[in-house]
Amino acid sequence: MLLAVAFKKSLFLLTLFISLLPLATASETKSEPIKPLVADLTIDPKLVALGDQLFHDPRLSKDNSVSCASCHQLSQGGTDDKPRSSGVDGAMGEIKTPTVFNCSYNLAQFWDGRAVTLEEQAAGPIHNPVEMNSSWSEVRAKLSRDPSMVAAFNELFDDGISSDNIATAIATFERSLVTINSRFDRWLQGENSLTEQELQGYRLFQNYGCISCHQGANVGGNMYAYMGAMGDYFESRNSKLTRADLGRFNVTGQEEDRHYFKVPSLRLAAINPPYFHDGSATTLEEAVRIMGLYQLGREIPEAHIQDIIAFLRTLIGEHSKLTP
Amino acid sequence: MKLLFQSIGQRRGLLLLGLSMTFIMLLGLFWDDDSDDYAELSRLMLQLKTLDARFDRDMLRIASFLMVQYDPLVKTSNELNQIRTRFNATADRDHEQLSEQNRLFWQTMKTKLDLLEKIKFQAALVRNGIHYLPTLAQTFNQQEPAHYNQIVEFINQLYSYQLSSADSHFNDILGSLEQIKQWSLSSTQSRDLVEQLLFHIDSNLHGLAKLDSLKKSYLEVPSQTYFSALHEQLEKQRVTETAIKRQLIVLLSLSVCALIIGLWLLIRSLHNAHLESKRAWNRLHDAVDNLSEAFALFDADHRPVLYNRRFEAFYPWLKEYPIDSLTLDELQAAVAERTEYYSLEGSLFTDPRPQGQYVEQIDNNTWYLASNKPTSEGGMVCVRSDISASKRAEADSRKLSRVLKQSPASVVITDTQGVIEYVNPWFERVSGYSAAEAIGQNSSFLKSGNLSRQDYETMWTRLKAGREWRGMFHNRHKDGSTYWESASISPLRDEHGKITSFIAVKEDITAQKLAEDQLRMNAAVFDTTAEGIMVTDAENRIKTVNPAFTRITGYGLDDVLGKSPQLLKSGRHEPAFYEQLWNSVRQQGHWSGEIWNKRKDGTLFPEWLSISAIKGANGDIEEYVAVFTDITQHKENEEQIRYQANYDALTGLPNRTLLSDRLKQAIASAKREQWMLGILFLDLDHFKVVNDTFGHAVGDELLQLVAARIKACLRESDTIARFGGDEFVILLQDIAETDSVAQVATYIIDQITRGFSLNGREISIGASIGITIYPDDAANADTLLQNADMAMYQAKERGRSTYQFFTLSMQQKTLDRRQLELELRHAIKNGELEIYYQPVVNPSLNQTISVEALLRWNHPKRGQVSPATFIPIAEDSGQIGEIGRWVLSNACRQLKVWQDAGFSNLKLAVNLSSRQRELGLEAADLQQVIDQAGIKPESLTLEITESLLIRDTEEALVWLSSLKALGVKLSVDDFGTGYSSLSYLKRFPVDALKIDRSFVSDLPEDLEDATLVKTIVAMAQNLNLSLVAEGVETQQQAEFLVNNSCRNLQGFYYARPMPAAEVGTWLSKPPSNVTSGPTKSLFTDSE
Repeated sequence: MLLAVAFKKSLFLLTLFISLLPLATASETKSEPIKPLVADLTIDPKLVALGDQLFHDPRLSKDNSVSCASCHQLSQGGTDDKPRSSGVDGAMGEIKTPTVFNCSYNLAQFWDGRAVTLEEQAAGPIHNPVEMNSSWSEVRAKLSRDPSMVAAFNELFDDGISSDNIATAIATFERSLVTINSRFDRWLQGENSLTEQELQGYRLFQNYGCISCHQGANVGGNMYAYMGAMGDYFESRNSKLTRADLGRFNVTGQEEDRHYFKVPSLRLAAINPPYFHDGSATTLEEAVRIMGLYQLGREIPEAHIQDIIAFLRTLIGEHSKLTP
Repeated sequence: MKLLFQSIGQRRGLLLLGLSMTFIMLLGLFWDDDSDDYAELSRLMLQLKTLDARFDRDMLRIASFLMVQYDPLVKTSNELNQIRTRFNATADRDHEQLSEQNRLFWQTMKTKLDLLEKIKFQAALVRNGIHYLPTLAQTFNQQEPAHYNQIVEFINQLYSYQLSSADSHFNDILGSLEQIKQWSLSSTQSRDLVEQLLFHIDSNLHGLAKLDSLKKSYLEVPSQTYFSALHEQLEKQRVTETAIKRQLIVLLSLSVCALIIGLWLLIRSLHNAHLESKRAWNRLHDAVDNLSEAFALFDADHRPVLYNRRFEAFYPWLKEYPIDSLTLDELQAAVAERTEYYSLEGSLFTDPRPQGQYVEQIDNNTWYLASNKPTSEGGMVCVRSDISASKRAEADSRKLSRVLKQSPASVVITDTQGVIEYVNPWFERVSGYSAAEAIGQNSSFLKSGNLSRQDYETMWTRLKAGREWRGMFHNRHKDGSTYWESASISPLRDEHGKITSFIAVKEDITAQKLAEDQLRMNAAVFDTTAEGIMVTDAENRIKTVNPAFTRITGYGLDDVLGKSPQLLKSGRHEPAFYEQLWNSVRQQGHWSGEIWNKRKDGTLFPEWLSISAIKGANGDIEEYVAVFTDITQHKENEEQIRYQANYDALTGLPNRTLLSDRLKQAIASAKREQWMLGILFLDLDHFKVVNDTFGHAVGDELLQLVAARIKACLRESDTIARFGGDEFVILLQDIAETDSVAQVATYIIDQITRGFSLNGREISIGASIGITIYPDDAANADTLLQNADMAMYQAKERGRSTYQFFTLSMQQKTLDRRQLELELRHAIKNGELEIYYQPVVNPSLNQTISVEALLRWNHPKRGQVSPATFIPIAEDSGQIGEIGRWVLSNACRQLKVWQDAGFSNLKLAVNLSSRQRELGLEAADLQQVIDQAGIKPESLTLEITESLLIRDTEEALVWLSSLKALGVKLSVDDFGTGYSSLSYLKRFPVDALKIDRSFVSDLPEDLEDATLVKTIVAMAQNLNLSLVAEGVETQQQAEFLVNNSCRNLQGFYYARPMPAAEVGTWLSKPPSNVTSGPTKSLFTDSE
């Protein structure tokens, strides 16, 4: 286990090193609304390793059946392929699992942004009855029975195993999940790494106005938006309105926040179907089309959709845990 | 007083100090804590202001579509979140007053950020719309070119509005919109297009309006106001608090000053009061200080009120403590460190706070009577008085008593009369008497009686004189056993010097005496044993050796003390030998065996050595004891025995035994190899003469020379052995022919007859050799030797210094001899033996003096057998014993017959063979013969040969003396023929000599013989011996002898030997020459 962690760690560092090479040699980043992803080199590798371990530890769930990684499957893009994920005892979640990759770039966590920090977020699924259905005290008790865990925590924290420390470790691990060195980022940094179609896709992405919301390093995640800004998405969706559909209203209770969601990152969108908070769009084409229709008030021709998809694929970066 | 004063002063000082400290700390708290918080809050406020400004700036950039990506905004809000956390953490701590302003401010900020979020989205929406409209216009240009210009116009109006936000522009837009709605368009496509346009423009306008209103709302948010309010509040609070603190400080400082002044006044008044009481106190203190007891007083809080000087003197280690401030508890703890407590009854107890009266013993063996009594005010008064002197006296007396009781020596106290007054337990043990039994008795009741009365008197004299007596008693235990005691008795005096009693201290030294005896004995054994003893320590260094060691090795104790026994090493043994030796000693504890060692003088010697390891109580080896005997002699003896068994001591030649072995081996190999052996039996001629003439020493030397010469004649493979006396046997191996044997024999004879030079004398001897040849003459060793012997005799008979091969005729002779021997056995039984008698006459007296009995054998077939033939056979076969006895008794009886017949002075001479002694003829037998015959012993003369005298001298002497003691006479037969020496004539009890016939036969013509006879006569006269001359055959001889004073004559001239019957006749009528002188010529005796 330790060895595996060490190996992963070294691999991670290696990836980092390789990804930094073009950065170091790049002349100057292009001035674009999308910025390259940058890995945080200041985080403690030991803490990352512990977080990694906890992230994959099913003891965080009530019946030891579900870990963070059960839904946030790192190799699958940090999420699963279900519209709604299932928790302990097969309980169905109420919302599409968002990717955990690059989450540190988000202005807040969860679709409705109810957690301001990653640490705050970590507590959420643990306590959620349809997710892990556990509690901090339960998790602490379980981990405290494991001498290797106790030793690992004692090495890193003065106060050993505590809720805060578990959350810190998981959050730190999550901060390390940055998919750097994508082809698009390399292009941003001056490399001639994109095809004409992809460049065309990027142009269309800008011209159609997708870029207005999906911008920044994470291509989204740094603002909220109404689902159905230019049309009534939920009416057209033709299915019953759920609590999850209310979006940030569930957090603020304000009428103006109804259907107000955090704009999701498109960094790994190309490999993370189904789409939207309700997982209703099973293909990227459909997602792009629906987005054009309800968010931009425009019908995007099929050819343009393909170009945009081509562009979206260039956003996928590299991470040792991610093997697309 | 001083103490009291000090304590008050100290208390006040402490109070003052405590007060000051409290104030300072309070002030410090106010100052430090708050000023830090305020600094932090101010800093955060400053940052907040910056962030707020940044939000405002970014909002404006967003609203004017200048911000294309919102990551910086996310960063700014994260920073704001952090500041809020820190600000709230600091503000909530002590500043409740701030909370309202704070809450309001953050509420405002949240509103502002929420609005900003909305603006972000709204701006994106509007921007998309603006961006899309030209594209839409482009589509119109393609589908409805007629309206294109109008559309462009419209879009420009829209942009103008967006840029200016003027209401006039908005009215223009509304007018244009109405126009567009009025358009009649033919195609559905175009209608849809217009619809799309209208939808987007509508959305855009709405969006723009919303953005505007949001912007307005945002700008209206009074964040700045609340910020200022918060800041103001904070400042105000800070100023207020500072003011309060200042007032407090002033107040406190004043209070402190007042307190100090009050205190000072208080101290002054107290000081005056105390000065007065101090004097009184000093008096008391002085008194207490001068007490001989230690004294300490404690107040109700157990603080010291007063210690006197004694107290410190009593507990010297208290000097290390601040004694003036020691509380009762501290004092008692300090005292307990080195003190043990005893109750007045004497039992030890431990109590951290002892009360009442008890005894203390401090570790320098000082004793205090201690008293800790509570005072009326609840304090404690402690008094200690030194009772060491009485304690010590008590202890001493107890100790003395215990000494007596437990002493491992008997102690007896008596009065001046010796009556026992006290005995201690040890006495009871040693003597067996209980104290009750002993007391009242006089001490003398223990006497064993082994000491003298005088010893006791001496003792009493001494004691009564008042002096000490030391000595030993040998006393009797109650059970009757005795024991030794070493005693020391001294008088005890009272204070006036008068002796009141005696005290005896006695030690049982029985075991010691036994041990001493044992030791003495061991030492004696150690010193006197013939075995060498060496003791070494565990490191094998010599500790001691005994005199035998020194005698054997030559090393004295000083030579070897502390050295390793290796100095004795002979170098003859391998290291492995010693290794094995030591292994045995270490593992089995002992070793014994033969070992070669070296003496001090360097000579090596064998010893029989036993080494034992002596182990100590703990099982380790402490000493090694080596005991050894010098076995040099033993070893030499061993070799000598082996040598003697096989070799002749004199010549070093193989002896008879070894010869026998060699001969047998030689026969075996000769038989195997088919060769011949020659056996030479050599006998020296005339050797007896040499021996008798020059002594045995010379004879022995000669034998050695002979042996050497013979040896020189032989080959290496041949053997020469000394067979006995002057006989040698030579074994020649592997001979080719008998001639070569003869040559060897000749050569040897030549060598021996060459003559020897010994001690300056020339000695000539010869050698006769008998030779046998194997396998021709005999098949076994014994027969070969016998035959050679026989041949040697033959050689001798042939005239000496010659050799003789064994022949069959010799064998025949032997056989004859055997036959004769057999026949002789029957001769006695068959009456074939007969005694003849030859008279001895004294011509001068004309008298027959005696008759000599001579034996004759009338053999039925062979006729008369010469005595010269059968006497040796009888001697060899032992028949001479029986025959001799027969002769004696018959002759004596015959003599008796003659004496009874009137020849009462006639005497008888009987020849005695030396073999008869060997065959058991004893004095008793002779006595019996004489008694049976009834003759006087004087009338019997026993004739012995010279050879009998020479051989077996000592035994013969004893034998002859025993016979002589019976009263019989002894005569030496054939005197002059042997190797006579005058010495034996002196030693032996001889009465007469018989001059041998060989000297007589040539008389008187042979001058030499005549001289000899004359000499013998003179000698006999000197020695007072009577003389008989034998073999007188002529008158001349008789006359010569008679004329030369040899008066008794025997021979044919007078009479032949005759049978008894004839003798009777002869005696009655002696021939005329007996009576008329020696005139008649006679024949010699048949011998």
